[in-house]
This record gives sequence, structure tokens and C-alpha cells, in this order.
Amino acid sequence: MKLTKKVALAAAVILAASSLASCTGGGGEKTTASEEFPSSWDEEITVDVFDGLANYMGVQQGWFADIVKKKFNMKLNIIAPNVAGGGDTLYNTRVSAGELGDLIVTDKGEKLDELIAGGLVLDAADYYPAMDSLASFDKAVERLNEDSGGIYGFPTSVSSLQPTEPSEGLNPTFGPFVRWDLYKELGYPEIGTLEDLLPVLADMQELNPTADNGQPVYAFSLFKDWDGNMMVTAKQPACFYGYDEIGFVLAKADGSDYQSILDPDGEYIRNLRLYYEANQLGLVDPESTTQNYDTLFSKFQNGQVLFSWWPWLGQSAYNTEQNMADGKGFEMVPLADQSIFSYGAEAYGGKQVFAIGSKAEDPERMAAFIDWLYSPEGAYANSSQTMGSAGPEGLTWEVNDAGEPELTDLGKEAFLEGGATVPEEWGGGAYADGVSALNTTSVLPIDVDPATGFPYSYTFWPTYQATVANTLTEDWSANMGDATSTMGYLEDNEQLLVAPGASYTAPADDSETETLRNQVKDIIKQYSWQMVFAESDSQFESLLDELIETANGLGFDKVLDVDMANAKEQNDARVAVTEEFAG
Amino acid sequence: MTTQAQSQVVLQEAAMGNLSHQSKRRRGRRFTPAGGRTSFTLFLCILPFLVLAFLFSYLPLYGWIYTLYDYKPALGLAGSEFVGLQWFQMLVGSPAQMAQIGQVLVNTLAISFLGIATSVLPLAFAIFLNEVRAPWFRSSVQTLTALPNFISWVLVYMIAFSLFSSSGLVNDVLMDAGLVTAPLKFLDTDQNVWLTMTLWSIWKGLGWGAIIYLAAIAGVDQSLYESARIDGAGRFQTMWYITVPQLMPTYLVLLLLSIANILNNGMEQYYVFQNAFNKEYIQVLDLYVYNVGMTGNNLSLATVIGMLKSIISVALLLTVNAVSKRVRGESIV
Repeated sequence: MKLTKKVALAAAVILAASSLASCTGGGGEKTTASEEFPSSWDEEITVDVFDGLANYMGVQQGWFADIVKKKFNMKLNIIAPNVAGGGDTLYNTRVSAGELGDLIVTDKGEKLDELIAGGLVLDAADYYPAMDSLASFDKAVERLNEDSGGIYGFPTSVSSLQPTEPSEGLNPTFGPFVRWDLYKELGYPEIGTLEDLLPVLADMQELNPTADNGQPVYAFSLFKDWDGNMMVTAKQPACFYGYDEIGFVLAKADGSDYQSILDPDGEYIRNLRLYYEANQLGLVDPESTTQNYDTLFSKFQNGQVLFSWWPWLGQSAYNTEQNMADGKGFEMVPLADQSIFSYGAEAYGGKQVFAIGSKAEDPERMAAFIDWLYSPEGAYANSSQTMGSAGPEGLTWEVNDAGEPELTDLGKEAFLEGGATVPEEWGGGAYADGVSALNTTSVLPIDVDPATGFPYSYTFWPTYQATVANTLTEDWSANMGDATSTMGYLEDNEQLLVAPGASYTAPADDSETETLRNQVKDIIKQYSWQMVFAESDSQFESLLDELIETANGLGFDKVLDVDMANAKEQNDARVAVTEEFAG
Repeated sequence: MTTQAQSQVVLQEAAMGNLSHQSKRRRGRRFTPAGGRTSFTLFLCILPFLVLAFLFSYLPLYGWIYTLYDYKPALGLAGSEFVGLQWFQMLVGSPAQMAQIGQVLVNTLAISFLGIATSVLPLAFAIFLNEVRAPWFRSSVQTLTALPNFISWVLVYMIAFSLFSSSGLVNDVLMDAGLVTAPLKFLDTDQNVWLTMTLWSIWKGLGWGAIIYLAAIAGVDQSLYESARIDGAGRFQTMWYITVPQLMPTYLVLLLLSIANILNNGMEQYYVFQNAFNKEYIQVLDLYVYNVGMTGNNLSLATVIGMLKSIISVALLLTVNAVSKRVRGESIV
């Protein structure tokens, strides 16, 4: 009896101790300093990649998997919270279990700090000297890790551009893009301000009430997948006027204005009113309330939507080579008073970071892999699906006789004709299926490859620009003062407002603010949707009053104060970085 | 699942009751070591259940400690900040917050009461089904109505979506027939949310709920029917005067169990059906806890609200107990 008691006690103690140990994690195994990474790895491993940006869950396939396999003898098992659904559920579950993954892509600031404090990420200081490709972005790495006492994270979206230069390519991130062919049929009516879009879009919808597939066409089609602090599609038009969100504040890129999103005269409510009026005119897709981004995207592909807030939605879905040759496609219409927000090149990297998990199976290989992502080869091969790097050299592009990079036939097929099949020696399969599922940009595609002297993104190459002139772009260009690109037009007409890339991250909310924020944003999203689909002006106004009252009751003001302070701090950082790089 | 667990507890309590009676009797009659050994053996018999009850009902109460911390999973409980009663204060400190929880409680109770009010439907369904003479028809109806119980709520929502969304079958038919010009909003509206939710759970649970009554009907003594028929009772009279009274005890037990479960209406159904338009009326307590904890990322506050549920449940139980004491002269606890 006594013996069993002792055994039971011992078992209980061991159990308790081991369960505690799994929570604290610790610093992982001791790392040894390396001067140079091995050129080959003998043992094949599969690594877990916890990737906050990934839209694909499972083992990486296709040509990117093939490159990773050949170079590092490993497979990437992508764990995507976006696919798993439900906010931070997956993150919290894995973090509680004491391990996020071998390779981690997460937000800097609060999340990274927490992971460092909890011992879930590895201090890669011992490997850093061997990370040669990152050496050219050393300033950004140092800045990211300056207060952490080690090298825990590696910044994404780094570049060697000036922070006051736009980080986007030929197109801005935001902009009023419409079906140019229909706009042309209306005789290119002038559009003074945002609200003047409505009659134009109504005429366009009347002109083209059904798409080729027989489905009805709507000017606006909304979706809710990305709703965060507010209704995401209702924020976008604010970006046409130089505002971007920081918490519940819309801050102008040049620091000249800060608005509460619940300001009845502010940009956010203005946009809700715009959609409400559009809905009264029958311009809003009734499926908006239930559809997701994928459905929306296929509607764009089928020509069922007339307005796009972003070039990378409308154009990438609808502007196929065939459509453009027929003169059909999305192009930006100029609003006379627009001043489009542009993200400056982030001097110290973007919001996300790469990090190595403290329990990584082979941390050295992880470090080598991360380093490779910053090499020219990695920058070409790995880019988010929407950013448009040129893919691996030899497959999709090659340097031509004149010494300029040029798309191969396969590259043209893959990028311009909507899909190509990759040869077996590159891993086979459709090109699109083999794109890096990391969906995270290491080096901005606008950055220049020292070997070719041209940017990583093919859209900047003269060889590409010479081949893509078509009926649509020519017509657009002729009507836009012979502009060669949207970005060029905006810059020439001073309709672009660049927010210097200060790599600012808002400090973590204290837990009370965070809780208030989460409750308030739920209410804001809920009422925003209801307001867009309100049945009458009076209902719209009463919902607005109710929203403001409820939000204030739940502590909106307190959170707003925090956000206002952050917005101003962000502006200070922008001013500072501008001066730093100018001098 | 919950009902099963509940009935297990009932059985267990019954067993424990019997046991204590027995041992009391024994103690009174003959206090010998042999008797002691018997009661120890019997104690060993219930030990596993005591352990289970402890593990699943009492041990989790340890989790209430999270209410006193600002819990961050990455830091663990030891690394998280101790904040005392901050979350409780936050909950009671703001009228808007209280109003929200009030609305959530109203939703929970309303949906539960609608569920209880419609709990006679499986009973009626079973009685009528039993009267069907053709066995093939009876069993196929039974199978078809029991099947939805095995479909997950996610799939039920898919069915609901393809039927009732703005581009769903129903709206297509109505539009094509020219009955409506704009699609009707069945899913994204705050009109009649409680009712539609109840209808969906009836659709899903009716056939399944009827099974237990069908079993009870099979156990009714046939001679009762025979003698009733000899006395000239018609079909509806035998249903009303024999079947219904015979089923009453079963019905009352199930009713009691569902009243005990009044705050537990689960969250799957409401989770899949929730959207910005119906959220205000669909958010039941379990879903609210999930939304605050998982979606809103505040596990500590979610625990506080979860605690609230336990406290209300205990209060309800004590009320019912007091009523029972007064009415029947017997108390449950």
C-alpha cells in the first residue's frame, strides 16, 4: 500500500513537472556558432511552418517545393491560421502547447515580444554571421531586434529603396479601378469626387446588366473575410484620399489629419453612406453579406463586378490577355480630388517577421533557408502571390542576348495567359500550384537584382513592357495624358500621397484596452454591415446613432485615445525616418 | 451527449442513494467486520465514478484561477500578470457591457424555452407514427426523420445556405416566378431568429427524439388497448386515454433534464448561423463565451463569463429545489 502510494506520488510529480516544462519551453537546445552553412543536407526533414499570412494549408507542392527540396532537402508543411479559420484560435492553441512550428511567420511587436518572453522563438545570433544574404539588410535586422538582446526575428519586405519612395510597382495598392470598356462606352464622363462615381456606375450597370455567364452584374460586390477593426471594404475609399487605418483612427499619410472612424463627418461613415446609397440604387450585390473572397474573385473573373478598390483584385482577375486585346478590363478612373495613399518602401521591413521556433528540428537549416529567401535566387522564387516576382531563372525568365532579363515562353504563358504547366525536372504541375505558399515577401519585388540591374518584378522590365501594349492599355493611356502606368499618372498629377516607410508598429495594447477594442470592433463591424443594407435614410441614421452610443458605452473613447496617440507617434516616426535618410 | 451524461449522473445518484440506504440498514442491524468489508467493496464499486466525477466536474474548477490573471498563452499562467478582480469589475462596471450580457441571457433563455415548449412535438410525432399501419411506410418515415440527427451543423448550414441565401434555390424560384423583385433575406436578418433557430433544431432532432417514445410505446401493455377497444374506444380515444398517459413519465423525465440544461444550448448551431445581421439575437451564452475568448482573444474574460453561467445554474437549481421542497415536500439536494 505504502509503495503504491509512493509510486503514485512520484508519478504525479513527474507528470506535473513535465506538463509545466512543456509550458515554459525554455531556450531550446544549445546552438553552436556557424561561420558558413553546409552546402548540402543528408537527411530529409519535413518542417512545420506556422505562417500567419499563408492561404494554403498542407505540404508545399510544385516547383517551389522542388527548389526547396534540392537546396535544403526538406519539405515545408504549411500551417495556416487563415485557412483554419477563427482569428487567433490556432495560434493560441499551438502557443499553449509550447511549440508554434520550426519556422514562424508572425507579426512583430506584441506577438513577437510575447513569443520571445515565452521562450518559443530561438535566438539565432549564433547563425547570423553565416547569413550572408541578410548582410545587406543588416540595418533592418538590427533595428527589429534592438531591444530583445538577441537575433530573434528577420524583417520581411525589406528593400534598399528610400523610405519616401512608393513601395508599390506600376500600380498603387489602392485606387478606384472600374471596367474601362464600359466607362469608354459612356464617353469617359468626368468624375469630381467619390460620390460622383455612383451615377457613372449606375449607367455602366445599365449598359451591361448581365455577364457572359448569364449572371447579374453589380457595381459593388462586398465581402467580410478581412474585416478587422472595421468593415474592410468600407475603409478602402478612404485610401483614395490619403488615409489609412491605425486602430480606430484614419490617419492621413502626411500627418495633416486624424479622424475617428465613428466621426459622422469622417471618411469611414462617408463610405458607409456611399454603399448605402449605392444599395438603394441597386448597385450592391445582394450576396455581399454571405460570400467570401474566393467567390468574389471568381465573380470578378466572370465580369460580374464593375468596381475594384485594388488593382490586384480587378486587374488580376479580369485583365486576361484575351480580354485586354478585346479592349476589356479594369483600369483606374481619375477622381478629380483623389490623393491616393501609397506605402513608402519600409526602411526597416514590413509588419511580419520570420523567426525560428525554439524547438526547431534543425535550426541551422532553418537559418540557412531564411537567409536564402533574401538572396536574389530566393527573392525571385519566393514572393507573395499578388506581388509578382519573376519566378526562378531558367524556368520563367532568362537573360537575353542584350543582357536584359526577359520572360521565357513558359513565363509568358504562366503570367499573361493564365497558367502554364511546369516541366518535370522543375517539379511538374501547374505553375500557379507551385507558387510559394509562404505568401510572404522577403525582399520587395521592386528592389533591384544586382546581377541584372533590373527589379525582381518582371513588370518593370523593358522587354516585358514592349510586349504587353494592347487595345485596353493604349486606350487608357491615350485618355490619361499618355501615362505609361497608373503610378506614373498619379505621380505626374500629384495625386499620390506617400507615407514614408518608417516600419512603425503600434505598441501592444494593455489587456483592458485590447478587450475593449475587441468588443467595440465587433459592434462596429456588425452595425456597418447593417447600415449599408439599411432600408431607409432614417434607419441608416438611427443605426448610426445606435452604433455611436453602443460603442461609446463599451469604451470606444478610451481605445480611441490610445489609437490617436499611436497615430501621432507613427507620424513622428515617419518624419524621423525621412530626415534620417535624407541626411 | 449532454443528455447521456446527465442520465448517467442520475443513474449514479440513484445507485449511490440505494447504497447508502443499504449500508444504513446493515449498520443498524449488525455492526460486524464482515459488514464493513462489504461496504468497502461496494465503495470500491463506486470509486471509479467518484474519480470520474472529480476529474470532469471538480478538477476543471481549477481553471477559474484564469479569471484573476491577464492570461497570455505564450507566457503561460506563471508568466501572465496577476490582475485580481479587474475582469469582474470591467464586466459590472459598464452599463453597455451589462446590457450586452443581458441580451445574451435573454437569447439563451428564449431559445431554450422555445426548445422546451416544442418538446411535445417528438411525443406527438411518435404517437401518430405508431398509428401508421403499413410497416414499410412507418419504418421509412422513421429512418428519414432520424437521419438529420447525424448531420453536423456545418452541413445543415450548407443546406440552409443553398436553399435560403440570396442566390439560393428558394429565392431563385420566387424570382423566376415573378413573386418577388429583390431576393428575400432569410439568413441575414434579425427577424424571427429565435423561431428559425428553433425550427432548424426541430428539423434536426424530431425523428431522433421520437425514438425513445416509440420504445416506450412498444412497452405499453397491449391488454390495455384490447380492453379499451372492447369498451368501444376509437383510435383517437385509445391514443388520448392510453398512449398519452403511459408516455407521461418518460416525457416528464426528459422535460426535467432539458430544464436542467436550460443554459446549455450549445454553440455549434448558432456559430454557423451567426452573421452581422442576426448576431444580436443569436448570440447565446456558449457562443458569447467562444466569441469573447477565441475570436476576441481574451481567455480570462471568457472564463469570467463562463463562471457566470455556473453561478446562474446553481441559482436556478436552488430555486427549483426550494419550489420542489414547498410543493412536494421533497428536495433534490
